[in-house]
Amino acid sequence: MNTPTWDEFAELALKRIAASGAEYGDIRIQDSTTEHLEGEDRRIASIRDLHDRGFGVRVLYHGAWGFAASSILSLEEVPRVADLAVEIAKSSASVAIEKVRLAAEPVYRDRVVTPYRIDPFSVPLEKKADLLLQTMDTLQRQSGIARSSAGLWARRDKKLFVSSEGSHLEFDLLAGQGECTATALHEGRFASRSFNTPHLRKGYELIEEADFLREASRVAGQAVEKVRAPAVDAGHYDLVLDPEHLSLTIHESCGHPSELDRAIGYEANYAGTSFLTTDKPGNFRYGSPAVNLVADNTESGTLAATGYDDDGVLCQQWDIVRNGIFVGYCTNREVAPKIGESRSRGSNRADGWANIPIVRIANIGLEAGEATRDQLIEDVQRGIYIEGHGSYSIDQRRYNFQFGGDAFWLIENGRRTHMLRDVIYHGITPEFWNSCDGVADRTSRRRYGFITCGKGQPGQSGWMTHAASPARFRRVQVIRGEGSS
Amino acid sequence: MTVLSDKWPKMTGHDEFRFLSDMIMTRSSADHTIVSLRDHHAGTTRFANNQVIQNVDARRGMLTVTVAFGGRHGTASTTDFSAGAIQDALARAERIARVSPADPEYLPPPAPCRFPNREAAKSETVAAGPVRRLEYANEAIGQCRMENLMAAGVVSSSGTAVGIAAENGLFGYERRADARFSLTVQAGDATGWSAAAHRSIDHLKVQERTLAAITKAKRGRDACELPAGRYPVILEPAAVAGLWAWLLWSLDAKSYVKGTSPFAGNLGHTIVDERLTLRNIPDHADLLGEGFTHEGLPSTDSVWIDRGVLKQLAYDRYTAKTDGVETIPTLEAPALSVEGPAAHSIQDLIKGVERAILVTNFWYIRPVNPRELILTGMTRDGTFLVEKGEVVSAVKNFRFHESPLQVFRHIDRWTSPMEAVNSETGKMLVPAMALPEFRFSSVTRF
Repeated sequence: MNTPTWDEFAELALKRIAASGAEYGDIRIQDSTTEHLEGEDRRIASIRDLHDRGFGVRVLYHGAWGFAASSILSLEEVPRVADLAVEIAKSSASVAIEKVRLAAEPVYRDRVVTPYRIDPFSVPLEKKADLLLQTMDTLQRQSGIARSSAGLWARRDKKLFVSSEGSHLEFDLLAGQGECTATALHEGRFASRSFNTPHLRKGYELIEEADFLREASRVAGQAVEKVRAPAVDAGHYDLVLDPEHLSLTIHESCGHPSELDRAIGYEANYAGTSFLTTDKPGNFRYGSPAVNLVADNTESGTLAATGYDDDGVLCQQWDIVRNGIFVGYCTNREVAPKIGESRSRGSNRADGWANIPIVRIANIGLEAGEATRDQLIEDVQRGIYIEGHGSYSIDQRRYNFQFGGDAFWLIENGRRTHMLRDVIYHGITPEFWNSCDGVADRTSRRRYGFITCGKGQPGQSGWMTHAASPARFRRVQVIRGEGSS
Repeated sequence: MTVLSDKWPKMTGHDEFRFLSDMIMTRSSADHTIVSLRDHHAGTTRFANNQVIQNVDARRGMLTVTVAFGGRHGTASTTDFSAGAIQDALARAERIARVSPADPEYLPPPAPCRFPNREAAKSETVAAGPVRRLEYANEAIGQCRMENLMAAGVVSSSGTAVGIAAENGLFGYERRADARFSLTVQAGDATGWSAAAHRSIDHLKVQERTLAAITKAKRGRDACELPAGRYPVILEPAAVAGLWAWLLWSLDAKSYVKGTSPFAGNLGHTIVDERLTLRNIPDHADLLGEGFTHEGLPSTDSVWIDRGVLKQLAYDRYTAKTDGVETIPTLEAPALSVEGPAAHSIQDLIKGVERAILVTNFWYIRPVNPRELILTGMTRDGTFLVEKGEVVSAVKNFRFHESPLQVFRHIDRWTSPMEAVNSETGKMLVPAMALPEFRFSSVTRF
């Protein structure tokens, strides 16, 4: 007997759901392949090839959800898991107070394929390992570097989504990334500096277009400079933040608070709620008029640009903050009606087949302004230019934040001078974004992605990209990230 | 109602894993072959705004094959346990290993040994299904409703079959179970929290912990704002565990050897209060001890910090070999204790304090300066001012900047070790502690 097709498995599950009397159901079947090369201190520490296949069935019965999943894709297991999802939904329905009502969405039949030039899984492992070894060798050739690391990552997700409403969506999605880090030692202190390609939905051309050896030489030199740099003096500084750094700031202080499920309390027990409560759209000043934050799940190459989300909703573009005013949330089909919206924003995504989809931050980006990056710096008397990611922490309503960075340069009288170390800045989210008085133009716009954004119980990783041009923030409180301050 | 999860799924058994691993060994052409199993089945009932919002059940079986030809090694895994898929995983691992550069740190699988036989799987937890989880969720929701408060939380239960086998005869198989309950109670702007994790779902103490979270939330109303600064503190067990988790995670021996560790040069030296002792106690009924590690090493009782002195580092096998360490200790069941007379309860700690900030829990703890292990994070779900032995007010949440290596240099008073778990750390046994000084660096809006 031939192995049944995914369509046949999906039909089997949906028949069981229909027979149960449930008002809605869907099945996601997914086969993911992840290749991960990790190098540490001039050696290839591991090469792993992970295959993860399974399916998840979601059922809405009398306004309550049930979800069950299994890694056994068989004619026996699919109906069993579908029945379990129904049983769980019935169990939830027995105690439901407010019934779930799904926002309407057209039915789609489509196939989404990530455009790429070079399939990363076709590139010989020897070539990849050699690149990492050369990269680490370049890092450690720099005098003063004590440790090195380098890595490459690629993933392909083949997925089928079929819903009881008639949607039938096939996906063949690809993503990749590469990175290296140098750690310098000096007088008992140590400091690291990294180079990361963004996580993007591209092929191996993403790695080939990045000049790893040149970047390794640069970050190794900067790691040595950083560990020897003077510690920052605490005080108020104007900050000019590079796009990679801003990607994290946007993620934590705009992305998460704009998730509607948080705003209405769904994440209260874990990731927290949001200061962007449902009375605020249209009237809350989130930032200065220079701040325009746009959600765009349609931009090719970005992580959340998957064509459709895991509700089967078409990916869209919309405003989160327009001219400094908070105007829109990230939503799914369940929570959109709770604020009177007739359609979901298409931000419902699951961490693979074994998880139920939840509201996830969209690809939120800071819209470009008109100045150049150098013009932003020229208008700073005493400031700090910050690149990359460092320490980060934020309270559970996303007000009180703190960020470090990967590299810091003092700005004096409009010029970047020397590096600093132990720079930490903190503030309150709307005050910080209201201090933004300039965003650089589109020529310096860059995109950075996240694949480990934690949320939900059980915990799930979410994927999204944040794009930005460098931006300037006035009089931000900076402290020294060491014990003596 | 049918409770399907009593019968489903049938997890990979001891003999089945033996069969699968033997099959892989037989077909492997490598010098060394290691097979590991993680077959995990978990259900979670999640609630918010006093109703169930998510109710899930998932089973994922995963077999991972690592092979080596000399020092060249490769790893492949699969969730498909059919013969063809397993053969494919082995072939992929071999293909990787054949083209990998030789790893100078590669070591053959550990020698076979007799692993401790721990009762890590409680049948009541493994058998718990959506109905049992819903009962607990309803209990928490019901108590909160009666008080006109809002409940958000989870009840989860899981069972896992774990195995490791190698061609040299190494073989371990174990069933593990885990049950969790956590609850955040909202009283307007105020929140109260409590959480538990245990091998046995019967030990989650849902009613008791719900009352604790309700009390915190009600006390948390009308929070006043205190200025940032240095304060004496009383840290409840979850807050202590949040700080100690980062200390534990920083004990990496390789970083120590390479000079990129906060403990550099401090092995054998006093690093915290001389009355503090940290042990790994895998047989403790309230900890989540395991029989063996993912590398195939036995989990054993060990002393990590003895009366304030750092005695152990967390070794990978290669660094242990180069350092001449024969027995690698594990740290999955940590218990921190203080020598000397303990206060009877947290309430007793409060009674003995003139003025302090009482912290229920920390959140989003991250390192700021790894050399000094300076951490930052926020207080959460219950921060209070204590004056003259009483809680006098809730206070707005603080951000802190501190190093556990500094704040635990001296402790004023403490309780006996209690169960501690929060959303960012594993389970520990730690005392609640009164500390003379703690640096809160800024205040948030609520």
